[in-house]
Amino acid sequence: MVLQIILLGGLVLFSILAILARDLIKSAISLALASLCLGIIFFRMNAPYAGVFEISVVAGLITVLFILTIALTKAEGDVRESRAALLIFPLFFVAFLVLDILVMKGLMSKVPALAGTPEAGGLKFGEVLWKQRTFDLVGQVLVILAGVFAVLALFRKRNKDE
Amino acid sequence: MSNAWLLYMAFAAGLLAVGIYCLLAMKNLIKLFIGIEVISKGVSLALLASGLARQNILLAQSLVITFIVVEVCLVATALAIIVNIYRHTNSLDVRKLTKLRG
Repeated sequence: MVLQIILLGGLVLFSILAILARDLIKSAISLALASLCLGIIFFRMNAPYAGVFEISVVAGLITVLFILTIALTKAEGDVRESRAALLIFPLFFVAFLVLDILVMKGLMSKVPALAGTPEAGGLKFGEVLWKQRTFDLVGQVLVILAGVFAVLALFRKRNKDE
Repeated sequence: MSNAWLLYMAFAAGLLAVGIYCLLAMKNLIKLFIGIEVISKGVSLALLASGLARQNILLAQSLVITFIVVEVCLVATALAIIVNIYRHTNSLDVRKLTKLRG
């Protein structure tokens, strides 16, 4: 559990670094490191498939997309974040942490142990993914197609006669 | 088990707070999108923690994978829009997008 708390702390720390870093490349790399922490947390929570997806897709592919966009725009210097936003953040976060700890402590005694029907022992991940969830996977395919068409439409080249 | 669930929820709430602060305070479009990514990390942590607490980890895992796929589509589309905005305005400042306001 101690290692899990350290990883969770790292996840929050790298996320804070991602939003506070002035250099956008450093922000993107901090976000990738946060995803790596989250992937390891998933592995330790006995969810290897989610961990693999988190590390390969979020830490890998999304970071590449971010770095590509930063390279294509090259305008990080023209947006200056206000100093007040950076100075207020520690106060905001400490206030939120105190509130968070108080609420969670209050809930600790009140929330009953979550009752659930445990999954059958011999069930495999593939059976749950393809047999229990069927129609929403069709929706997922449609979402991917919509994303592909959106990117194609946004980067459409003009015809010569236009 | 519910204590571990509350611990995960506390950290997920922390991620949500960091992301919402970024959305409220930052002006760079890419930074705003990084804020949305941070929020989505909190959401997937909360999903999996709830699955773990209810002993339905396989179902939670498949939901997290769906969430990640939708997130990738969102990122690809939004970053394409950001590149197009940069080509039009030569800036990543979100305040410059208000110039058409009546």
